[in-house]
Amino acid sequence: MENILLQIPSNTAVISALTKSQLIFTSFWFWASLIEFIVIILLIIKLKKRKSNLSFAELTKDKIKSSKDLHIDMDNLMNSIGGSKDLYKELSRLCHPDKFINKPEQKIAEEIFQEISRHKRNYEKLALLRERAKSELNINFKN
Amino acid sequence: MWYKIIVIADWFGEMAERNKLVRDFNKAAKNAFIAGISPTLLETKITLGESAFRHAFSKFLGGGFRIKALSGRPMEKSELIEVGKVVLDNEELVRKLISLGWDTLEVHDSQGFRGCK
Repeated sequence: MENILLQIPSNTAVISALTKSQLIFTSFWFWASLIEFIVIILLIIKLKKRKSNLSFAELTKDKIKSSKDLHIDMDNLMNSIGGSKDLYKELSRLCHPDKFINKPEQKIAEEIFQEISRHKRNYEKLALLRERAKSELNINFKN
Repeated sequence: MWYKIIVIADWFGEMAERNKLVRDFNKAAKNAFIAGISPTLLETKITLGESAFRHAFSKFLGGGFRIKALSGRPMEKSELIEVGKVVLDNEELVRKLISLGWDTLEVHDSQGFRGCK
């Protein structure tokens, strides 16, 4: 190759570039490194897939740190201590499914009553259910 | 050495978080009482706790979360239990209490030594 390059001095730059590129593609090490690179990428993809299948994959470090700043709604807690009992009594009395037997609202009433029983001591949830009962069951509350 | 410094920093951080929770509770209770939402003034304190309820994360000599109800009249046992049940029904708060080293929830009356654990 060097002999040829010496014989044609005017086109040396073009020919040397061509030979270099040809050398790269024909060399064994180029193909070996390319295959190795592809294998590494495939392994990384596989590892990431496996990680995402883990149940704790969603637990990142940032999320754990932010859990420290988890705000507990103390006002709701105080409301629950003070008023959830009365609200529950009122709601369970007015939204009881037995009041809606053979009516189109029976299913909704059953659903709302189940929710009321589940959130018996959560004032915020009970207040939302009260609004829902007002709109969907057309119940008139005193307050 | 760095490990020890991190451990000490964590310990202080946790203590600050415990105190913050107690402070937040007391503040909310005071506001609720002033606004007339709650009929009783509640106050929380960190106490020794009950050794029978100890768990792996319990704080030594600080496992009790006492809620004292300053109602001005002797409260019935059912009322005390109701306050305790409302606190225990709040899942987020219970998880936080356990993770911060509390193991016993005490609800006390303002008079005498009557209370529930």
